[in-house]
Amino acid sequence: MTPAVVIIGSMALFWAAFLGVVVIPTVTMPDRPSDTWRATSAAEERGRRLYIADGCVYCHSQYVRPQDWAEGAQRIARAGDYARQQPPLLGSERTGPDLSQQGGEHPDDWHRAHFTNPRHTSPASVMPSFSFRSAAQIADLTRYVQSLGGKDADLRVARQQHWKGLAVAAYANGPDANVAWIHSKVPEVWRKMPNPYPATEASLARGQRIYELYCVGCHGPSGDGRGTAQPYLDPPPLNFALLRRNLIEGKYIGGVLYYQIMNGITGTAMPYFKTQLESAKIWDVSNYVAYNFIGYVDYPLRTDQIDAAYENAEPPPPKGFVKDQP
Amino acid sequence: MTPLNRLLDQFLPAHEHSAARRFLVSGAVWFCAGTLWGLIGAMHLAAPDFFRGIPWLEFGRIRPAHTTIVLLGFVTSALIGATLYILPVVLRTKLYGERVANLGMWVWNLAMLSGCISLPLGYTQGREYAELVFPIDCLVVIAFLCLTYSLVMTVATRHENVLYVSVWYGLGGVLWTAVLWVPGNVMWRPPGGAMIGIVDAVWLWWYGHNIFGLATTPMAVAVAYYIIPRIARKPLYSHTLSLIGFWTLLALYTHIGAHHLLQAPVPTWLKTVSVIDSVAMVVPVATVLVNLWLTMRGALREFADSWPGKLIFAGSIWYLITCIQGPLQSLPSVQRHTHFNNWVIGHAHIAVLGFAGMTALGGLWYVLPLVARRKVYSQPLIGLQYWLVLIGVAGFFVVLTAAGLIQGEVWNNGGTVYRTLPMIAPYLMARAMFGMLIIGGAFIGLYNVVMTLVRGEPHES
Repeated sequence: MTPAVVIIGSMALFWAAFLGVVVIPTVTMPDRPSDTWRATSAAEERGRRLYIADGCVYCHSQYVRPQDWAEGAQRIARAGDYARQQPPLLGSERTGPDLSQQGGEHPDDWHRAHFTNPRHTSPASVMPSFSFRSAAQIADLTRYVQSLGGKDADLRVARQQHWKGLAVAAYANGPDANVAWIHSKVPEVWRKMPNPYPATEASLARGQRIYELYCVGCHGPSGDGRGTAQPYLDPPPLNFALLRRNLIEGKYIGGVLYYQIMNGITGTAMPYFKTQLESAKIWDVSNYVAYNFIGYVDYPLRTDQIDAAYENAEPPPPKGFVKDQP
Repeated sequence: MTPLNRLLDQFLPAHEHSAARRFLVSGAVWFCAGTLWGLIGAMHLAAPDFFRGIPWLEFGRIRPAHTTIVLLGFVTSALIGATLYILPVVLRTKLYGERVANLGMWVWNLAMLSGCISLPLGYTQGREYAELVFPIDCLVVIAFLCLTYSLVMTVATRHENVLYVSVWYGLGGVLWTAVLWVPGNVMWRPPGGAMIGIVDAVWLWWYGHNIFGLATTPMAVAVAYYIIPRIARKPLYSHTLSLIGFWTLLALYTHIGAHHLLQAPVPTWLKTVSVIDSVAMVVPVATVLVNLWLTMRGALREFADSWPGKLIFAGSIWYLITCIQGPLQSLPSVQRHTHFNNWVIGHAHIAVLGFAGMTALGGLWYVLPLVARRKVYSQPLIGLQYWLVLIGVAGFFVVLTAAGLIQGEVWNNGGTVYRTLPMIAPYLMARAMFGMLIIGGAFIGLYNVVMTLVRGEPHES
């Protein structure tokens, strides 16, 4: 081959490819906003610059695929979700969860704790601590993360803020009034639902595993609500010992725990776990909390009653408090 | 001689092989810096609070510094150094414009130094493999234009009429990188350096895949095409196969970037083109490898006696593994399990460090004694580096692929990303340990390079 063949030939192939797989998509893909898209505010844009500068994109994707499950997977990504973004932050790796629908999944105070040290809220996280960022910068980052998901995120954020006001007010009324308010949000059928799984050694061991992975950051190793995230959270995490004198009708607690873990308590830092934990795991961690921190379980230490919930009969009489002190 | 001339001779010397030698040394230095950034990143994933509160060591800032410095600083520098020696030799001439090539060398190293510092400080465009900010982009383009000028003029002033295959790839590698960098980094739109909206992903990954395919791959293939016949003391097996390999590489590699976006909202036809051409990449890879290995046939004794030969041969094995894995993981059915997880990180490491990196090291140790006119200070230290890097890369491949499969399967069965973190923790710990072997290899290599230049036994030719 002559030099001219190498140079001209390779350039011809190179620019032909550019025309085919870059220019044609550019011309045929309109930058048209999707139904949930909205413009970003100045604070959100500042947060977005910090998100880029600190390389958040290397661990967090911002597009949900058709096969995705769980957190963030409410909406499969559409081209118009990225309108006006320069650059769109799709990402190529998921060491952390997808963030494309993150807005409103957690209240701002959860994010403050999490950015300061992710282990505060998520003990197994390998995300760096952003304690080197100022409070104002963390506030900007929070505004950006709360905007992800566009108009859908705005609805979720507004809902968080609405319930935040009520939760803070309830907390101000004192511990027992607060628990009564929290209980009142649980539907009747769930309140009187005993934990269908006996608090066996096996169930408690599995529950401990879940507790250490998901709960200990806020509720603390002794369930008193003084985990490392507690100083950042308003209202602070629940001290489970309070439930000891607030059982439902003096005998039920499993259903309340299950319902709150499944759905979370909107407005507070308590997230929902229905996309993270399967049913049996939620019952197991309910048993762990009930046994260790409340000192009371619906079905104490029996292995022969797993199907009791299906018998449509009254649950067996409670065996009473399993420990004198939680 | 005026002081200005002395300064010019000091920094832009005109004597033969000066640019090649300096590029090789640059590669050895950046190998240490780039892998050091990599180890810090790996330690973040194994022990996230280890560097807490140090902004310039934060994972998201270290990662682009690591990828940029290893890919461009180490692999590309060393390959350019070898290319600047090889091309004039096979063209039976001297490098044209040694001063211009030296200018390119300084500009290139300034770009790498700027990137090595600016990325940890948070100056980034936020596009994977296109993170460098606009002024550094300009330095990169200037450096590659200098090299392109020097090599094109070398070809124009050659005494050998026939262009050997290494010339096509070596010339192509610098020319294509120079022209790829501009649209790839959307350089007419500073400071953001990106298109607007989802189409930017199409631009980014067209560039992101090409920077491997049109910069490092051709230069690594150019080096292997020269050194393997030299060590085997045999002519290249087939000229026809090298022609097929060259043109199919260009025709196919330039279309496959969208396989990074198979599940993203970009046009389906674009994904289809990328998958078909990705699978077809088996053709250029197979032709190159068959050509190289059949050239080696019957000469394995020579390769067993030569550390550069072993490095290049190991690089060709990694090329095979990378390029069987690559087409497979571009299939949508496979990518359902591998995308977004550590499988891809494993793939990237065997491509850049296994194939291109080990080939670059082979080129470095083959060419350095020739351009420095000194014998290598220590052959056993090359051997130590060879084993440290080889075990390190192989370890990376095993543990990252395993971690990726765990992540992919758990996600596909409804488990969250968070839940997989404790599952892959031991693998990420093992990865950091294998990384230490690679860093050990990098520093031993740098020591050996410096000692060769300072203490190496002088020899002629």
